[in-house]
Amino acid sequence: MSRMATRQWMITHEWMIKPMHQREWIERRGIMIWIAETFTSLGSGLYLVSLFINSWWGLLVGWLIIMFLKLPLHIAYFGKPWRFYRTMPPFSNAWKTSWFARGILFSVFFGTFAFIQLVFGQPDLADLIGRSIADPIYYVFGVLAGLSALGVGIYGGFIMNYVKGIPFWNQGLLPVVIMLAGVADGFGLVMAVGLAGGDASVTWAETGSRYLLMINVLLIVTYLISAGYSSSVAKLSIQELLKGPTALMFWGGTIILGLAVPAVVSVISLFSGEDVSTVLLIIAVASHTLGAFALKYCLLKVGIYRPLLPRFAAY
Amino acid sequence: MRWGMVINLAKCTRCHACVAACRIEHFLPLGVNWPRLIAYETDIPGQELTTIPVRCNQCKEAPCVEVCPAEATKKRPDGIVYVDNNICVGCRYCVVVCPYQNRTFFSRDKDPGYFPGHERTRFEKAGRKLFPHVSGTTEKCDFCMERIDAGMAKGLVPGKDREATPACVNTCQARALTFGDLDDPNSEVSKLIREKNAFQLHPEYGTEPSVYYIDGKIGGAPSNIAPREEQTASHMQHLSTMEAKAREIFKKNKESK
Repeated sequence: MSRMATRQWMITHEWMIKPMHQREWIERRGIMIWIAETFTSLGSGLYLVSLFINSWWGLLVGWLIIMFLKLPLHIAYFGKPWRFYRTMPPFSNAWKTSWFARGILFSVFFGTFAFIQLVFGQPDLADLIGRSIADPIYYVFGVLAGLSALGVGIYGGFIMNYVKGIPFWNQGLLPVVIMLAGVADGFGLVMAVGLAGGDASVTWAETGSRYLLMINVLLIVTYLISAGYSSSVAKLSIQELLKGPTALMFWGGTIILGLAVPAVVSVISLFSGEDVSTVLLIIAVASHTLGAFALKYCLLKVGIYRPLLPRFAAY
Repeated sequence: MRWGMVINLAKCTRCHACVAACRIEHFLPLGVNWPRLIAYETDIPGQELTTIPVRCNQCKEAPCVEVCPAEATKKRPDGIVYVDNNICVGCRYCVVVCPYQNRTFFSRDKDPGYFPGHERTRFEKAGRKLFPHVSGTTEKCDFCMERIDAGMAKGLVPGKDREATPACVNTCQARALTFGDLDDPNSEVSKLIREKNAFQLHPEYGTEPSVYYIDGKIGGAPSNIAPREEQTASHMQHLSTMEAKAREIFKKNKESK
């Protein structure tokens, strides 16, 4: 049989021979994972920031994002959504080894603790119950909800970090990048809460956002450089990010919308010495949020597996 | 005891019989693959395009077992990693985490039937009852554990007695697949690994796969082509086993009508 003829019937199986993209969590129904993961960052980040500045409205929006946007999307992605209870004790003790199971537990704890905190933090209800009773409960559950929110915000990074076959994800910095990006998004959303008339200080959120943006730029650059040194498949992922099919999303979404636009607004407010116009702030918040979606998309999209065969170990 | 497999690439004739045997044994729906033969290009003259059979590596330190949030992926004491489809929630973390990509998520759209637009064949209908696949869950090779269990219950030895050996190993005409106990230093698989310098795929992941490969020259080993009679016999024996099972189902169906 000629080489050409052989090729014709064998070419279809070039699977895991060359570096191959992960598709389960970004294509078709996998889009739900992308959106859910972004809401995870936004919700947990907003909750943590709101906890820090004691903004009840911020806490409420953060809780709503996690409970009514993130969790339903995650569960809807399951092949058997009605079996989701099987991921929790007493049906499963997988939390001992699985970050996925831990994430679900964090989410459940967060949902419960944050709800109690919100109830006892609601001014009218707190007055009704009596401040001497409501306040201690509010603070105790605030700590518990904060720890759970931290878990919710970081577990996605560990889930991806555990995948040894995808060198770009298998980096120690990934959970930190995801967590801090979430907190930066939280600052953006807190600004939105303040602009909408909530109890958050826009000026304070802007200052916080400024520092976080700088840290995030440093982190992302460090991440890309160190990942590039780890393996040639990770390098391939980075090439895709910087000048491949995902470049538009990376440069346009993550860098310009997620980092540059909020930074420019922040610098304008710093040097103008007076309050920035509401329109500019709204633009900053919107681009911050779009940047969060872009970052998660890029991370999931450029997850590339190392090929199977040792002779291709150069990858 | 830890079951393992050695795949001799020098003997493999790229006939896809192992893939077909598994498909028949487990009535795999069209979009689901347990073992595969993957094609790749080499620099070896005359062998520019070749293939390698792959399947679940039944890793000793299986990442899929560790990450499964529902504990649906389990490891048996004999090392076989399997999925309990009655527990699996279909989160696909195991599919993503497997560095060898040897898992398939079985979604409804992967089950159009072998002849889409037509009624399912008798074979497919029988398969639904013999080996029901649960859509919305993950699937993978389990070294035909049901055959191993049934065979061992009769006192047979997996890897030696056909009835207790995985279907792909039975059907391989070239005898490129060898099955046995990795923990037994005198088993055929252990000897092959020792003598032929068998290697695992990506041992650096620390997963300790139970599937080994032998590459390069066969050396003093027997010919890589099994006698024609043996090839035919192995196919006939396998198919006839399945046919008997299918007949039982058809008989029950008729009786119930």
